[in-house]
Amino acid sequence: MTTQDESLDAFRARARAWLAEAEPPEAPLDLDARFTVLRQWQKTLFEAGWLGIAWSEEAGGQGLTHMHQLVFVEELVRARAPQPIGIIGLEVVGPSIDRYGTDWQRRELLPRLLSGDDIWCQGFSEPNAGSDLASLRTRAVVDGDDFVVSGQKVWTSWAHMAQWCALLVRTDTSVRKQAGISYLLVDMTSPGITARPIEQMTGDREFCEVFFDDVRVDRRNLLGGLNEGWPIATHTLGTERAGATLRRRVECEVALDDAVAQLRRHRADGPSGSPEADRRTRAAIGRCHVALRVLDAQTRQTTTRLVAGAGPRPEDSVDKLLLNEIEQIVFSEIADLLGPLRAVPGSRPRGLRSERWVHEHLFSRAASIYGGTSQIQRNIIAERLLGLPRG
Amino acid sequence: MADSDQDTAQYAAAVDEYLTRTYEGDRRRELLNSEGWDPEFAAELADMGWYALAVPESQGGLGAPLSALGPVFMQLGRHLVVGPLLEDILLPAMLRRPGDWVSAPAIAAAVGTGVPLALVDPGVTDDWADDFGSVTLNGQQLFGTVNAVRFARQASLLVVVADTGTGSAVCLVDPAEPGVRIEDVDSADPTIEFARVVFDGVRADGVAPAGPADGELVIRIRSWARLLIACELSGVAQRSLERTVEHVGQREQFGRPIGSFQAVKHMAADMHTRWAALHNLCLATLADADRAPVADLELLAATAKAHAAETAVRVCEDAIQLHGGMGFTTESDMSWYYKHALALRGWYGEETELQLRIGAALLERGSADHTADIDDSARDGGDHPTDRA
Repeated sequence: MTTQDESLDAFRARARAWLAEAEPPEAPLDLDARFTVLRQWQKTLFEAGWLGIAWSEEAGGQGLTHMHQLVFVEELVRARAPQPIGIIGLEVVGPSIDRYGTDWQRRELLPRLLSGDDIWCQGFSEPNAGSDLASLRTRAVVDGDDFVVSGQKVWTSWAHMAQWCALLVRTDTSVRKQAGISYLLVDMTSPGITARPIEQMTGDREFCEVFFDDVRVDRRNLLGGLNEGWPIATHTLGTERAGATLRRRVECEVALDDAVAQLRRHRADGPSGSPEADRRTRAAIGRCHVALRVLDAQTRQTTTRLVAGAGPRPEDSVDKLLLNEIEQIVFSEIADLLGPLRAVPGSRPRGLRSERWVHEHLFSRAASIYGGTSQIQRNIIAERLLGLPRG
Repeated sequence: MADSDQDTAQYAAAVDEYLTRTYEGDRRRELLNSEGWDPEFAAELADMGWYALAVPESQGGLGAPLSALGPVFMQLGRHLVVGPLLEDILLPAMLRRPGDWVSAPAIAAAVGTGVPLALVDPGVTDDWADDFGSVTLNGQQLFGTVNAVRFARQASLLVVVADTGTGSAVCLVDPAEPGVRIEDVDSADPTIEFARVVFDGVRADGVAPAGPADGELVIRIRSWARLLIACELSGVAQRSLERTVEHVGQREQFGRPIGSFQAVKHMAADMHTRWAALHNLCLATLADADRAPVADLELLAATAKAHAAETAVRVCEDAIQLHGGMGFTTESDMSWYYKHALALRGWYGEETELQLRIGAALLERGSADHTADIDDSARDGGDHPTDRA
């Protein structure tokens, strides 16, 4: 065992002990209440030194490794604690500013991002730029010391509550599509921005569409160089993908543990139903366990790559594709155990809390769409890992 | 630890190198056409020490941990090596006995010359147990029938798992003993010769004392069989994938390689993802298995086998599909790989029955604690029940 392993163990123990004392809040269903509670939770985490774990100290971080970050996320999920509200800033935007930002940007923006005083959203996708993100059309033209931004973004989580937006814009239309994109840091209180929530099939409404109507953005808010936004965005998305895969894996494991606990309590209280019904329960739980064990084994390689500091790799697409499938297997198997009572909120078929499992099941359908659809992952695997010819 | 990982990789590389050089092509076809049995080939592998890999050094083996067999079985699967390899490689490593013991020469012969052992185990399946057969141990006498035993006709020693009424026992039987009947049965699997084994009051030699410790040996044998079959299936899937990627990159229709069509590409990507996941699951399970207490080992192995059973068959089916008409013929290797995958799929549990077992174990013992530290209960690999027999 190296000293780093030992300090990881000590770090894990410290995190676990702190979380046991911290009394993490439960995330309220109501969106406004949830925003408030999870923002307060972010402040609590920040003040205790649990945010920006792998970020540099001058950016307000803890200067530890990615491995420490992963350990904390794992402990947070296992403690059944919610994620802080500013997860997009923390996981996606912050690391990019820390890496590519100017001194002014890092000094002015990162501490407030960490503490939750500023909530960030991510303006990448557009109505006509989804999987083909590089074809985005929101434009920014230079006018004196400002950029002037016009266009529309979509799937922008929390845009209506956010103070800042990480925005990809087209700054050159005369070159290859990837070469004409810039990355702007936009103050959401600027005149000309309208955010409209879109209701999702889970009933949640944190997704927004955002309209930019001649919005003026100071040139010092350009991240990286002019027309150099694409590599930053792909780097960010790659980092996000590996970290999010590991987090989601633990969330799915915790979900299965919770489902098994609910089923067990029910069985302990009385007979476990007909042999046929019980057989079905056992089969479903067995299938979920196998699937999650596969994901665990697969992500051991991911952790190794991440710790070695490898950037985004085509192998990440294998992880993502598997995660999508496995997440959907797990939540559909559990939700299927609700039978017709899935339509009756408050019901407890076989001891399972129907509202939670219906919500998780519906949310799992997004897994194969967000962060790069399963079809895009298959293209990457076929072309970049297997070397098959482009179509 | 690093040294042993390196050794493990070297064993597998040596197996791959030898098979690539001597086995691919005609030799494999001959073996496939003789239901997997060729005494010369078995002797050749024995000569190279393949059966001695995990046998303890004190008994003339190489003393590798059982987990080192995993990557070797991946290569055996990848090259579609058939025969009583599971029996001859695994059983001598698990049935350690003092040198003066009656069955020792038969085990030594299996390791040294490749005369096979057969595993007569009614526990190959749960859901078809009634059709598969049963064996009971009454005092020192064995009774019962097992309807499908791999390579029983060729075996010099039968390793029998018998029901004692209070648990299971591992018994060793000389097939020449009076009361043993070995009957030929047809095999639809070109890679395995089957026989029916009947015991009618047979004196069992080398019965380990029946009891919890011996029950543990039964679980260990079955678990390692499951895990090594999972590794073999991973190799089967790997080669099916490799051949398919090669084929769709070359085969042209409509003026371009069929691998450039997205419908084909996506199937190939799924095949790769399935194989990679199975491969990584096998490696992770092997890494945990040597030191796992028996209950954990049972769950780990059942999980790996459940996934392997489902995955390898699907990869083979996609391989046949992407090979087009040729994939359906016996001229293409794909059909042989598929039949082998189908046979291994049901041996020691296909996905449905194993998922049921796993689900039952979890619901009974509680939630799977994914952070459980197996080191706490790690035991010395030499602490083997039969060492004390």
